[in-house]
Amino acid sequence: MKDITAANDPHPDAAAILDARLASILREIGIPPRPSILEQIAREARREEPDFHHIASLIGRDVGIAAGLLKTANSPYFGYRQKAHTVQEALIMLGLTVTARTVAGLILRKVLPSGPHLERFWDTSDRIAQLSGWLAQRHGAEAQRVRPEDAHTFGLFRDCGIPIMMRKHEGYHATLAEANRDAARAFTEVEEARHPTSHAMIGCLMAQSWWLPETIALAIRHHHDHVLFAAGAGGLPAASRELIALAQLAEYLLQQLTGLCQTREWDKMGAACLGCLGLDADGLAALLPQARAFLDTLEPL
Amino acid sequence: MKKPQSDKSQAAWPQGGRVDALAGLPDRGACVRAVAEQAGPGRRPLAVLWLNIDRFKQINDSFGHLAGDGLLAEIVHRLERAGTRGRLARMGADEFVLLVPDCGPGRAEALARDLLDAIGQPLEIGSLRLRPSASIGIALSSPAEGPHALLERADRAMLDAKHLGGGQCVFAGEVLPSGRSGKHLAREELAVEEVLHRALETGGLSLDYQPILRVADAGLEGVEALMRCRVDGALVPPARFIPVAEKTGLIVRLGEWSLLTATRFASRLIAQGRPVRVAVNVSRAQLTAPKFSQALHAALACSDAPAGAIELEITESLFMDRSEVVQHNLHAALEAGFSLAIDDFGTGYSCLAVLKDLPAGKLKLDRAFVSGLPEDRRSYSVARAVVRLALDLGMSVVAEGVETAAQHEALCEAGVTAIQGFHLARPMAEAALEAWLIARSAP
Repeated sequence: MKDITAANDPHPDAAAILDARLASILREIGIPPRPSILEQIAREARREEPDFHHIASLIGRDVGIAAGLLKTANSPYFGYRQKAHTVQEALIMLGLTVTARTVAGLILRKVLPSGPHLERFWDTSDRIAQLSGWLAQRHGAEAQRVRPEDAHTFGLFRDCGIPIMMRKHEGYHATLAEANRDAARAFTEVEEARHPTSHAMIGCLMAQSWWLPETIALAIRHHHDHVLFAAGAGGLPAASRELIALAQLAEYLLQQLTGLCQTREWDKMGAACLGCLGLDADGLAALLPQARAFLDTLEPL
Repeated sequence: MKKPQSDKSQAAWPQGGRVDALAGLPDRGACVRAVAEQAGPGRRPLAVLWLNIDRFKQINDSFGHLAGDGLLAEIVHRLERAGTRGRLARMGADEFVLLVPDCGPGRAEALARDLLDAIGQPLEIGSLRLRPSASIGIALSSPAEGPHALLERADRAMLDAKHLGGGQCVFAGEVLPSGRSGKHLAREELAVEEVLHRALETGGLSLDYQPILRVADAGLEGVEALMRCRVDGALVPPARFIPVAEKTGLIVRLGEWSLLTATRFASRLIAQGRPVRVAVNVSRAQLTAPKFSQALHAALACSDAPAGAIELEITESLFMDRSEVVQHNLHAALEAGFSLAIDDFGTGYSCLAVLKDLPAGKLKLDRAFVSGLPEDRRSYSVARAVVRLALDLGMSVVAEGVETAAQHEALCEAGVTAIQGFHLARPMAEAALEAWLIARSAP
């Protein structure tokens, strides 16, 4: 879901003005290197006996991150029976690796370019991440492949290259609109025809530098590569394929339920995603009301 | 998923099959008979999944047969849990077949991926943590085909999967991209592979930067980024992890990680008002990948550094690669504004005449010519000839691995334009280099 203005602005001039304004806002904000809190958690995790108390106090210094971590640990789709009341409890429940990834997801929105016109983009990413985690938990009960936490992290990071592309490459707004409309070429192909790189490549490099696992980095890199995805097992690792399928399905469900941001991705990848997840048309239809009920349980954005 | 009762699964096999002692599974003969019964005219399609454990021989050789047997038992356990819809047989030391009746390609592939995932979970043998993997060939029965031919197709597809590098499944007859060979890792290498995975997921990688100083005015020409890998506090030498990263394909990820990290550092130095050109090593696997240029631009987009702040060090032999993809990538990098340096010059087999065709602005003389100086007059003569030619062609020349004042002096005499080595400055972590830069600029 990449069109960040309200459903393809009909006035090209207005879009151009917006583009210029957005570009000027974004140019002033640098892309941060790896956030130091991730570095500190990683450093602690490398010790033979990590000091959970120290990590909890690091996380506790930022109220937003601490609250986000608790919220994540207590999310219904993670399926933990107990509730975490303190950061330290959440740490023990999630473990260091998942904590590091969750914190990465929580910081992401803070450190990447923001601005009034990216609000909806980030809100959508958040919803897709939540739905992906929920789907992974439902699906995982049968297959035990992708963890809901990883599906959630992937949902957050999948399109993190978009704000960076917007900031760096003029006219990217128009590229997004074209890529969203193109029914034949891969989304990234449209990007690469107009710009020297793509949001998928940027997202992959970001994920690598934030110490996310290879399966997530690869899934980000190839999440629009419908030919490689449809090629099946010869191409991507199974876990990466499943992450892509879960998030794509989450995006489709969200689009169906909100009627917003129609893209052509489901036409290109939907059938292969359903195949990957072992879902048929009836299963998909049955998911819709359940997804609506799940979204209703979430706090309003 | 419940483990199937062994007596029940045995009962489903035709009589006369000998039960394999180690794995408690039907053997090859029983498997052929089962295929004959379940495939053929008028029967629903039968999927044959032929599975071979990757690197089993190396594991067996390195850890001993007891460990190998333990690995097999665990893998059989995992296969039985993940493959409940099929029937498992053991075809050889590390080879298994799963027969899945009434199964089309979609289900067969999904099942194969389940099996690969189940097998790929980390496993502890002694003090070492392994990530086992397997290769799977899939063949679907056709009405006119006999059991031997069907099994043979699955076996061949498994070999194709193996040639993809392991950890994959491939359908019989599926066209494969060429040029990749199977992994062949020894015990030490398996351990290093695991270390690399851990380092990548727990922040165990870092870059040190070694200054390169100009001869003319002792000014800073740039720094070279050198990768460091730490696990459990211990440093793993590059000579140990780089070859394994190259064998396993992890080198691409390490290379991209270095590129982004170095580019960000260059950007930070610019923001501090101390712009320094940072040189990054590029591997063959990166430069032969079709999206090399996109990765370069992605690093720039994430870091805000101008391309001119980054120099890509590419070995002589890689520069000589005339393949279309390498030439395209080299020119795309130049076009984007990156500068290129020929690394380790003198170790390949190139003749000096090709230097005129290479799109590089800098040549780095290999340490092999430096280590014998000043006594080794032959090395000195070659170094001097290379330097003269390179300078005539408009390149600058850096001597690497300079460890003594005498070497330094000899190289200055030979005409090199810049020096890199312990004699002048050691590789330093980011913070140390920043302090070093500040100290140098102080009056």
